[in-house]
Amino acid sequence: MAESLFAPPEPSPFGVPASEAGAPVPVIELRGVTRIYSSGRLEVAALRGVDLDVYQGDFLAIVGPSGSGKSTMMNIIGCLDRPTAGSYRLGGTPIEQLSDDDLARVRGRAIGFVFQSFNLLPRTSALENVATPLLYQGVPRKERYARAQAALERLGLGDRMTHEPSELSGGQQQRVAIARALVTEPALILADEPTGNLDSQSGADVIKLLHELNAAGTTIVLITHDSDVAVEARRQVHVRDGLLIQ
Amino acid sequence: MNAAELIRLALSRLSTSRLRAMLTMLGVIIGVGSIVALVAVAQGATSGITDRIQGLGTNLLTVSPGFSRTGFTRGALGSATTLTIGDANALGAVTGVAAVAPEISTSGTIIAGVQNESTTVIGTTPAYPTVFSYTMWQGSFFNEAAVDNSLRVAVIGSTTADNLGLDATSLGQTIQISGIPFELVGIMQPKGTSGSTTQDDQVLIPLSTARHYFVGSDKVRTIGVSVATASAIDTTQADLTVVMEQRHGTNGTNDDFSITSQAQLLSTFSSITGLLTVLLGGIASISLLVGGIGIMNIMLVSVRERTREIGIRKAIGARSSDILFQFLVEALVLSLLGGLIGILVGVLISWLIGQIAGWGFIFNPFTVVVAVGFSLIVGVVFGVWPARQAARLDPIASLRYE
Repeated sequence: MAESLFAPPEPSPFGVPASEAGAPVPVIELRGVTRIYSSGRLEVAALRGVDLDVYQGDFLAIVGPSGSGKSTMMNIIGCLDRPTAGSYRLGGTPIEQLSDDDLARVRGRAIGFVFQSFNLLPRTSALENVATPLLYQGVPRKERYARAQAALERLGLGDRMTHEPSELSGGQQQRVAIARALVTEPALILADEPTGNLDSQSGADVIKLLHELNAAGTTIVLITHDSDVAVEARRQVHVRDGLLIQ
Repeated sequence: MNAAELIRLALSRLSTSRLRAMLTMLGVIIGVGSIVALVAVAQGATSGITDRIQGLGTNLLTVSPGFSRTGFTRGALGSATTLTIGDANALGAVTGVAAVAPEISTSGTIIAGVQNESTTVIGTTPAYPTVFSYTMWQGSFFNEAAVDNSLRVAVIGSTTADNLGLDATSLGQTIQISGIPFELVGIMQPKGTSGSTTQDDQVLIPLSTARHYFVGSDKVRTIGVSVATASAIDTTQADLTVVMEQRHGTNGTNDDFSITSQAQLLSTFSSITGLLTVLLGGIASISLLVGGIGIMNIMLVSVRERTREIGIRKAIGARSSDILFQFLVEALVLSLLGGLIGILVGVLISWLIGQIAGWGFIFNPFTVVVAVGFSLIVGVVFGVWPARQAARLDPIASLRYE
């Protein structure tokens, strides 16, 4: 099962998720997902039974104030964390059963992260930053840089490839981060407050970029507390106290 | 990730903080450098002294006096004066002995023209150059007739000749030894052995002349015995011991003399220098250990500083083992690079000391292999813990780390 996820010949393992019956398989399928943090005898339920389906080509906004559990959702969808109870299938693969190493592989191949604080590697050129996810997939050096260069050019950063993050504006850094998310041709782009640290013009540029990517077929999940940003998505779900309000 | 990618990653990382990398490596550089240098110095000293022992003469047995006793106090070996010219003559008659050269020694001031020097004056027999492997550079060694007639003739070592400004043209010239005029009849070739040149700084005069003018008694300092064939050294040594015991009325438990062969001298000496090498190497290893701890310290700081980077790497697909190897290889590159620079420094220092001490350049490939091996071990031992710390970090917490 897991093998189909990581089979190297397929550039995008979720490219055609249709089953034999013709019914589309969701890219993300959460069923009764619960996440409880326990420290000592104190238990805090961040998620309390969440059901969610996200299909290929969707553009979903998960909206909620801080403390609502949306960060926990993003961690679980991003395979950085596992649910305490319930099931999560990514492209039909149950995540609970995967080892830590397999989770790392899923993150590398199936998910592209875009963070609020960009999270680029410091003192590392834009090209090297974008090429790094491919390094962990064992892509040969030449191909790595060719693909990273193509991704940067696609985002209009062809003239910034040797620049380090500290030499780039916030908008440019976020575009490098998006290039890094795209370079692996993931099934899903997971954007956590991607405009949160940007001025309104750069923020609008990033939203426009996400629209373009979505139009080209990329599935996008946007996590935000900002309803102005959320309205940009095709579909919104709201999180309150660890529960989804559709 | 393969090894080449890991090394490239480590090098690019270290090149962004060169000063820190350099300072971290310094501990290993000093450790490895001092191991290489100290071992080379110990070996240089060994070979210098070994050369000198071998330069003493081929098939040489040395008869030395025993220790003296004053009350209950035992003096150093050789402090007694129990050997006589009679002993030397008796030893010369033993089968298998090629030549015997007794030595009476004193010190004297030599004056040649306006130059003067204080040096060792040795009274001996014409067998001296044979027994102690000297060859003549100018003139000839004095003969039996000179000894029989107590002639005032002198042969000098090459260093003495240099110091007094004497050369080929000086043969036949008169030099004064402690105020007594002697005719210079020969200058010896330098031994050419490394290290100190005391073997070439001496004045040789006939045994009888020395007794007549300087010493008076028939006691001799040592007796050099040259054995005819190398294979007969052990049996000859036993024969000499028997003869000496008969003459001195001793029985092996209370001998007032000792007979040592070159081989014995060499083995005693090499056991001392072997110990010296281990001791020096051991001391230097401690500094390598300290260097390794320095690497561990910096790697731990680095893991803390780069927590966020580790989180990012994990989010974009790095497995824990990728992170482990990234940090481990960084520690290894630091220690190995430090080790290689340390070898260069150590070789340079040992070359320098070799030049100053005069035993030349000694390069031991084995030391280099050991030093590289040691620095690799240091890298692994002191790199594993920080690397495991890095690999174990939780990606979510690391991403939020400020």
